Amino acid sequence: MTTRESNPEPSNPLGIDGIEFIEYATSQPQALGSVLQSMGFVPVARHRSREVMLYRQGPMNLIVNSHPDALPGMSAPTATPVLRAIALRVRDAGFAWRRSLDLGAWEMPTRASAMELNIPGIHGAGDSLIYFVDRTKDFSIYDVDFVPLPGTAQRPPAVAGLHYFGVVQAILEERTRDWLEFYGSLFGFSVLPQGKYFGVLPKGTLLESPCHKFYLQLIEPPSGAEDIQWDEALVRVGLGAPDVPAATRALAERGVVFVDRGPVQPSEKGALTQVYLGGVTFELVKSHLRP
Amino acid sequence: MNLENFGMDTITLAGPLETRLRAARDAGFTQIMLSARDLVDHPGGEAAAVSAVRQSGLRVTGFQVLRDFEGLSGHLHAYKLDIAKAMLGMCSALGSKVLLMCSSTAANATGDPEMLARDLRKLATLAVPLGIRIAYEALSWGKHVSEFPRAWEIVASADRANLGLALDSFHMLAARTDVDDLDLVDSKKIFIVQLADFMFRELPSREERINTARHFRVFPGEGVHGTEVAELVRRVDNMGFRGDYSFEVFNDDYVQLPASLVTARARASVKWLTDQVSRRSLPIRKDRPRARQPG
Repeated sequence: MTTRESNPEPSNPLGIDGIEFIEYATSQPQALGSVLQSMGFVPVARHRSREVMLYRQGPMNLIVNSHPDALPGMSAPTATPVLRAIALRVRDAGFAWRRSLDLGAWEMPTRASAMELNIPGIHGAGDSLIYFVDRTKDFSIYDVDFVPLPGTAQRPPAVAGLHYFGVVQAILEERTRDWLEFYGSLFGFSVLPQGKYFGVLPKGTLLESPCHKFYLQLIEPPSGAEDIQWDEALVRVGLGAPDVPAATRALAERGVVFVDRGPVQPSEKGALTQVYLGGVTFELVKSHLRP
Repeated sequence: MNLENFGMDTITLAGPLETRLRAARDAGFTQIMLSARDLVDHPGGEAAAVSAVRQSGLRVTGFQVLRDFEGLSGHLHAYKLDIAKAMLGMCSALGSKVLLMCSSTAANATGDPEMLARDLRKLATLAVPLGIRIAYEALSWGKHVSEFPRAWEIVASADRANLGLALDSFHMLAARTDVDDLDLVDSKKIFIVQLADFMFRELPSREERINTARHFRVFPGEGVHGTEVAELVRRVDNMGFRGDYSFEVFNDDYVQLPASLVTARARASVKWLTDQVSRRSLPIRKDRPRARQPG
């Protein structure tokens, strides 16, 4: 007979330690690549067997997946890029995956070829996935799955100290509590008090990762917006900057266009880029994080 | 309260899915409760069934029913988890926002409330990405949960936004559950109210309950517990419940009658119920002169 003590769980049960990478899916990787490059990301490696490119900038890894056949049950990449996945850096990916399934996550279909790492993952909002990655020390997923582009520096510096700050997720009406409970119970995210916001888009509900290294922002449709298309999905990446005006200037010099009218015009707090390729925007946020 | 608040259930009607959908719509109903069998028995396959439902223009009240899910362990739990995922998938394909789950009758299910709450929490988490709410119903012959107050304890303990109760008048009447126990329940956590009556005064044995539940329910107003059914509706309405009422009338006679005859009886039942409820809930006139106090 085993003895069960009912002590509280640790506040970071998976040992989450930041965002390992963000993944976009698109059938037009060159078009997205040029937007990413203007944002300071540099292509550094190509996947060994699939149409997948790794971009880097400072501490950020970003993957563009344009492989035509989709995972079972998921849609193939479309021309308009979509935010397809967040990879969480965790203590033990296998443990994180099993624990998530035990608590009611949906297993993601896997597709690893021979000699490739099999990254475990679960379904997130809409068509998106959440991966668990733990091999960040001695040898990384990138060493196994990717071939470096010749003559490319593998660790390009960040423009103006940019780093991942968070991800914005659109949710349907009256779904905030559902998603708070989802992220809270599976990963240990906690909700910030109402009214505490960063950046120029103070909307919705902010969740802080248990490692205090990034945020999720849940946004229900605005009232009176019955006519706009609003599905549950990951919609935008937030990039942290120690000095937003400096980052805005540096990116503007690289050709990035910021929304300069209305309440979201660039300020000390943040800035929002125009919409690229029918669906891609980046938000700059005055950041206190130390990547 | 009007016809918009009430839905038919496909299990009450005979014929192909399309015939039943049409009969419900022609009778003026705007919503329909569907069962998994409606999809898998369709000669054109599940996709054709989903398409028929979407084309009918009827709103899907809910999708039923996940059975014997909670309280299992080991390979039994793993098996039921697969079934639950498949049910959630069908529910989502139909555009149904509610999955009905009835309390377990499995002989080897535990009654440990912590384990039951844990399993309901897990199901609720699975339902979150699909935007589905889980409505937990106490079957009057459930092994550990046979009345709604017990179901409510488990739901409250699991404490998930997308987990709530399905109330079923048949089971409340069969188990002689005290309607005053509704005072214990948060009305926002009642996700659906299923309505049916029956023709016998008492159903003391488990076998009688099962047999009557599956073969001889009738619409409210047709049975011998009309007053109690109307009282239930009035109570939940007064509590602030503004969700859907669904006629869950399993009846062997009704499934050998033309669907239009049965939907006509359902409409008559709506009228009977709304008359009963409005008659009893008329506000007391405030301008009525009060009797003078002596002295």
